[in-house]
Amino acid sequence: MRTPPRPVLAGTLGRRLCVVALLFAPSFVLSMYQIRLHPSQNNEAEMHSAEGLALAKAGDLQSAEAELRKAVALAPHNTGFLDDLATVLAMEKKFEESTSYFQRALKIDSRDLVARRYVAANLWQMHRYAEARQNLRILLNSNPSDPQALLLLGMISENTRDYATAAKALASVPTVVRAQPESIAALARSYYHIGETEKARAWLNELQSHPAGVRAVLLGVQIADEMQDYKTAESLLSSVAPGDSDQTELRYQLALVKFHAEQFEESRQILQQLLDDGHNTTEVNRLLASCLEAQSRHEEAIHALQEAIQLDPGNEASYLDLASILLAQRKISPAIELAQRMAKAFPDSSHVFVSKGSIELGAGDFTDAINSFTRATQLEPTNSEATIGLARAQANAGMTDQAKATLDTAIRRFPEKAPFELQLGQMLLKEADTGNKGGEVRAEQLFNSAIAHDTKLAEAYYELGELTLRRGEAVKALIPLEKAAKLAPSSAKTHFALSRAYRRLGREQEAAKQAALFEKLKE
Amino acid sequence: MSSLLCQFYVPMARKAHRAPRHMLFAFLAILFPITSLALLQHASLPSAYTEIFSNVTEQAGIVWRHFSGESPDRFLIETMGGGVAFLDFDADGLQDLFFVNGGETPRTKSLSSVRNALYRNIGNGKFEDVSAKAGVDRVEFYGMGVAVGDFDNDGFPDLYVSGFPSSALFHNNGNGTFTDVTARAGVKNAGRWAASAAWFDFDQDGYLDLVVTNYARFSFNEIKKCELNSVRSYCEQKSYPGMPLTLFRNNGNGTFMDVSEKSGVAKLVGRALGVVAIDVNDDGWPDLFVARDASPNLLLINKRNGTFEDSALEAELAYDENGVAKAGMGCDAGDINRDGKPDFVVTNFNDEYHSLFISTASLLYSNQTVASRLAAYTKAYVGWGTHFIDYDNDGNLDLLIVNGHINQVIESTRLDVKYQEPPLLLRNNGNGVLRDMGEQAGSVFQSGYRARGLAVGDFDNDGRMDAVFTRLDGTPVLLRNNVEQKHAWVGFELQGTKSNRDAIGAKITVEIGRRDMVRWIAGGASYLSSHDKRVIVGIPDDSTLTSLKTEIRWPSGTIQHVSMPKLKQYNKVVEPTGR
Repeated sequence: MRTPPRPVLAGTLGRRLCVVALLFAPSFVLSMYQIRLHPSQNNEAEMHSAEGLALAKAGDLQSAEAELRKAVALAPHNTGFLDDLATVLAMEKKFEESTSYFQRALKIDSRDLVARRYVAANLWQMHRYAEARQNLRILLNSNPSDPQALLLLGMISENTRDYATAAKALASVPTVVRAQPESIAALARSYYHIGETEKARAWLNELQSHPAGVRAVLLGVQIADEMQDYKTAESLLSSVAPGDSDQTELRYQLALVKFHAEQFEESRQILQQLLDDGHNTTEVNRLLASCLEAQSRHEEAIHALQEAIQLDPGNEASYLDLASILLAQRKISPAIELAQRMAKAFPDSSHVFVSKGSIELGAGDFTDAINSFTRATQLEPTNSEATIGLARAQANAGMTDQAKATLDTAIRRFPEKAPFELQLGQMLLKEADTGNKGGEVRAEQLFNSAIAHDTKLAEAYYELGELTLRRGEAVKALIPLEKAAKLAPSSAKTHFALSRAYRRLGREQEAAKQAALFEKLKE
Repeated sequence: MSSLLCQFYVPMARKAHRAPRHMLFAFLAILFPITSLALLQHASLPSAYTEIFSNVTEQAGIVWRHFSGESPDRFLIETMGGGVAFLDFDADGLQDLFFVNGGETPRTKSLSSVRNALYRNIGNGKFEDVSAKAGVDRVEFYGMGVAVGDFDNDGFPDLYVSGFPSSALFHNNGNGTFTDVTARAGVKNAGRWAASAAWFDFDQDGYLDLVVTNYARFSFNEIKKCELNSVRSYCEQKSYPGMPLTLFRNNGNGTFMDVSEKSGVAKLVGRALGVVAIDVNDDGWPDLFVARDASPNLLLINKRNGTFEDSALEAELAYDENGVAKAGMGCDAGDINRDGKPDFVVTNFNDEYHSLFISTASLLYSNQTVASRLAAYTKAYVGWGTHFIDYDNDGNLDLLIVNGHINQVIESTRLDVKYQEPPLLLRNNGNGVLRDMGEQAGSVFQSGYRARGLAVGDFDNDGRMDAVFTRLDGTPVLLRNNVEQKHAWVGFELQGTKSNRDAIGAKITVEIGRRDMVRWIAGGASYLSSHDKRVIVGIPDDSTLTSLKTEIRWPSGTIQHVSMPKLKQYNKVVEPTGR
């Protein structure tokens, strides 16, 4: 089962950190840019500038841009005209070009603090955080209490996971932070991350009375939910007056929060109620399927996803969720049937072909799996899941040399080397089982390298520990195995290996404890 | 050419005589605790044989075929049978053969009636089909396996035939016929899909009890649909929920009591296939090792109070190194590293490797699958029957394994796995490292089969262990051992008096110089099959042999010392009746 849906604004986990930045663009960022008036000696240029400013104020940014370009063409060294054009371009989200005009103005007059602030804002929008920080440093050297600069510094720090700096910067300018729900959200998230939960909650509670209304509250719900503060999320949701918003949306959000809080039955009941009330949507059915699957009500989950697909046959995610349940439940025939349907419906989706390949791999159709994973890699050459799937399918089909070559190439090509190193190490270890002892040495090197590339890769620690244990070095094996267990406490096989290591060391009680954990987790 | 030579030499070198010796044995046993079976002594092997094991099925006159009922519905049971037994049903001193057939399935009927086969060994390497006359040719269920044991201690081996949805017990009347006593005995095992079974005396009352491995919940009315490469194929075992074991206690009066609940084995649910009964912890009480398919293996320690406790997890026999329950099919126990403790072999699915577990300490096993090279030899194979045999009598237990895939279309999706797979003869170099005898083993070991059951026995009484395996929907393969007699051997045929008559559970320790060799008369072992209960111990170097002390620990606990058993013959040993 894929990750259950989070609120629309959040996107995937990997993108979560830049969500606030993206959200700000329409309201928050644009509010930072203001058209300024500049005196000029060039009458014609002045005329175009005045016209441009008037158009900008009237909201006709395209015409304003044209007028201001004429002014800049006539007076290219006029910082005022450059700033105006750059500002309008920024308001049109043409950040790259806008930045270049601001930088031209700053070359002429490096003391233009407003232009520098706007440059910093632009660079933030373009995720060029280091350059943005550089400009903010100049601004704050000049005026350490510059509220706009501090706000930007806070937002950038939050985006780059420097939550302590973010909290400090944002908390120092409460008035400007309060102006936008997004900056409140950033400050609250920063507080959560540095363990200041009460302060985070206090800021989120401010969203209940924010002029932005329900939108602000939902943003707060999203932050609290994301930070697993489900009580606060529910409290925010309950603060919305019945008449203030679409109750369907609020109930869905509540079900989502309860799902994340692992209150699967309560979540399921809310969703069921929504369905009973006629809100039979793809979104509701998908979340319902997630609840049912979490409750091991596999057949009902499958039914809900089939309903979701029927409601919106173009929603790829519903197919992928259904495929993953069918595969997990070893319902191979319907899974294969679904895979074929998916491939027809989404012929250009690498995710669909990865899913299809996984099903075929599970079914033992290794040649078909190779074809599907190959297609996925063609559609999205950077899809690491597809590459690993291809190597696994090749290995299972007895094409071990091809499988190793696939992974060796991936190690050279992909910046994220660890998963490929791990997979190749596992493959070599398997080969070593059947005679190639040299493979064991390289496998060990690869596991170490994978750990060096990704210190949180529990599986690599496990493999290293298991290999050491196999060599009879139980004491030495404990270190990587304990690390693996810490990183992935629900990995049954790690507890199994730990129980074997402890048993060899005569630590019977610990061995029994680990064996019990294994028994509990293995299914 | 070689077959011509084989035929030429058979009557000369492999002559075995028939005599109604069971009467003679009984008489001699009264006079002497050890009887030299000179009549069974054998001439040395002609040097003309170029292969260790020869396929002598045709010469033996074995023409029976297995019928699986392979159907478009792809019922898993079609892929699992059938068993085979070596037994001397008429107590004439020659090992006979019994084959268990499968059965019809709803959409696949047999042109002729589906029947089991009892082949009587008439000597000279020939067998005759006496199934109908014996009354064991028909059963009313889909047949799976066979366990041979003299449950009433009358001196004639009885047959338990396992199957679905019931099983049957045939009592040997001692006159060449059998009587179906299932109902009276209470061992029908109704509604269950039984696989292997093993006779053993778990409560040490002198009567053989019976453990039955039940595989999975199954019905011909429930059709499961799976495909491999878009072709209808068998669904994997995990789609069939497992079942508990059945344990029948022998009441000693021809009836049995189902003590599965009471003994604690009923709570151990899983897909059980193979079973071997052996004293694992050397406390004199038989324990059980159970091979299970995608369920953890079991090591059931006999608590000496009628109950068993599973110690497989702690003993590290339940799972592979990654905590995965392999597809265990067949199993056997024997001392492969000559430390006096039983080790285990388990056959598994391809890519899992067959497993070799070596006893290290008290109830702790070391997985030596890779170190022994068993992994390398078995990666591509789906294994079934297996048995430790010292095929060359060098004192080291070697391994015989039969293989065969279950999916007809496997080769369309795997380059390295075949549907029909060769058996393996793996020689033990004495350090627990195995070597594939490959071509030397014989042409059978170069050919592919859908082999299932495997039994070992010395059908020509030459002191070289022969073997037989069954083939799905094919004739079985009888293998005669031709290995050059470089080593001497000593054979034992044990007869219990206080203990069960078959002496199942006896431990035989042969001291040769400073080295001990330990053998057990185990219950069950392999897959769906039953073996010659006589024990052969190979003598590595008989030129310096000055003493050959043998200690027998009988299932009753009686210790008997045998000072100098005769070499190159079977020694009949009767359990002393006194204290």
